[in-house]
Amino acid sequence: MKEKKSIADWLWNLALLLWALTIIFPLAWIFYESLKTNQEFFQDVWKLPGQLIWQNYSDAWNEYRIGQAMLNTVYYVGVSLIIGTFLTAINAYVLTRMQFKGRSVMWGLIMLSLFLPGINALVPQYVLMRDLGLTNSLTGLIILDSFSESAFYLMMLGGFMQSLPKELEESASIDGASIFQTFFRIILPLSTAGIVTVAIFKFLNLYNNFLGPFIYLSDPDKYTVGVAMYQANQIMHYKSDWVTLFAGLMITMVPLIVMYMVFQNRVREGATLGAIKG
Amino acid sequence: MAIQKEKNKLIQKQERAASLNYGNRPGWKSKEASQKWIFILMATIPAFGGYLLFTLYPNLLSVYYALLDWDGIREPKFVGIQNFIVMFEDPFVWRALKNNVLYGVIVPPFVIVVSILLSYILVYKSYRMNAVYKVLFFFPNVLSVVAVALLWAFIYDGSFGILNAGLKLVGIDVGNYYWLGEKSTAMWAIIPPTVWWAVGFYFVIFMNAMVGIPKSLYEAAILEGASHRQRLVQITFPLLMPIIRVSAIFLMLSMFKGFENILILTNGGPSGSTNVIGLYMFNIAFGTGNHNYGYASAIGMFLFVILVLAKLLIDKLTAGRDAEY
Repeated sequence: MKEKKSIADWLWNLALLLWALTIIFPLAWIFYESLKTNQEFFQDVWKLPGQLIWQNYSDAWNEYRIGQAMLNTVYYVGVSLIIGTFLTAINAYVLTRMQFKGRSVMWGLIMLSLFLPGINALVPQYVLMRDLGLTNSLTGLIILDSFSESAFYLMMLGGFMQSLPKELEESASIDGASIFQTFFRIILPLSTAGIVTVAIFKFLNLYNNFLGPFIYLSDPDKYTVGVAMYQANQIMHYKSDWVTLFAGLMITMVPLIVMYMVFQNRVREGATLGAIKG
Repeated sequence: MAIQKEKNKLIQKQERAASLNYGNRPGWKSKEASQKWIFILMATIPAFGGYLLFTLYPNLLSVYYALLDWDGIREPKFVGIQNFIVMFEDPFVWRALKNNVLYGVIVPPFVIVVSILLSYILVYKSYRMNAVYKVLFFFPNVLSVVAVALLWAFIYDGSFGILNAGLKLVGIDVGNYYWLGEKSTAMWAIIPPTVWWAVGFYFVIFMNAMVGIPKSLYEAAILEGASHRQRLVQITFPLLMPIIRVSAIFLMLSMFKGFENILILTNGGPSGSTNVIGLYMFNIAFGTGNHNYGYASAIGMFLFVILVLAKLLIDKLTAGRDAEY
């Protein structure tokens, strides 16, 4: 459809450009400020850096302990992601493609979670974790976040697995494969596309999880990047070391930017999938 | 549900019949059955057990906690509905709730209008940069709440923020005005970051919905000489109405549930002007002052009731209402 350029086109392009600028501009600003010295920054917040101070990044990494926080995050996100994704995959299979007593009760209880806002459970959950000795521990946080059923991911992956032909199990069984072999050798490889989507979302949620680590981790050596950045910002109010904080923020955004660039189509499609199903 | 049950019964019957056929092979069936159960238990016990323990059990427990006077350390004391009586007389609860209502009323329209406008342009206009914009606009939604909040804290900063510096460039000098530090503006300053973040998500929702509207409708309108504005108002809007309604309610609910961005930006300050109910509860339970787990749980229960009622209402309102072409 070819329409001639008019004032409206011009206005619409402007609207798009303005919204794009609200996103690009703050990020670009933070990036170039992160390469200045504090003096340069205090003098003029617009001026481009005279000399690029990459030193700020290593300061953020070491002094603001982003390095330690990054290691903690890799441990927390990595282990939770592997355990959580595996459990989601195997549960999606059991709950959507197998018949057994108690299945519908189980499914009903899991669907109940869609109704629970969760906010009222924060305190009892904390007390429970404390009684189990799982507070102030990254491993405790992993246990809390990976040993669970997520209705949303189960529906997403379950829907995917249901689209696989029923004959797969039958023929595997005739060939003498056990249920374990059927799942690991046939179902799991065929569901890779769905599992990857689930894993991407789990990654984003875990990496961006702030409230959990904030409540449960009290030892600065155990902070994840989100909590470390929050605390760095609190300290900054007294220290006025802006450029290092900017560098730190840039570092913590890198994994998200990379993730989004690689998987942007899947991320946007998956996001709306969840919205449609509620 | 009923259909599913019937189906299950049928399948079980078939399985039973099938197992009879294999009856001449002793041990075969029982081995497979026990293997199946081992597999099911192995798969479900860690996840479902964790779900029962860490999700359902605390939710049940929160009802009981709401009836306690407990700081988390001393012996808990059962006080019945005392916490709820205190809550209904607590002016901070009502002020926080008022802020929730304010955010719940103001944020959704902004998000929806901006999202629809952006998605309309991106779907019905084929500008060169559209593909780039589609990727870019969603990006804020990928960022963590900490990153978004810090980014905006830098924008709003009184001495070195880009907002004041930008205003100065266009000739408005507000000096070192701290947008998040003044009672009169802090409340409003929370709104742009929230809108900015949410548009990323909702413009994709609306874009997908618009792609689903048959082209023929527009072609007919174009033949009759309808302008873009007429097409937007008379075709797109009415057809998107169900999705707009659901989005508005979801946004409103999230304004009641969420508090992390406010926790990071202002922690409810200055002097409680940005406090919301979730944050008020959070600070009573985990904040720097005296902790009161019982009272926090009572507020949590109150919020729980609001949210569940709202959810039930939504399901009732939106059931079976889809756009018809």
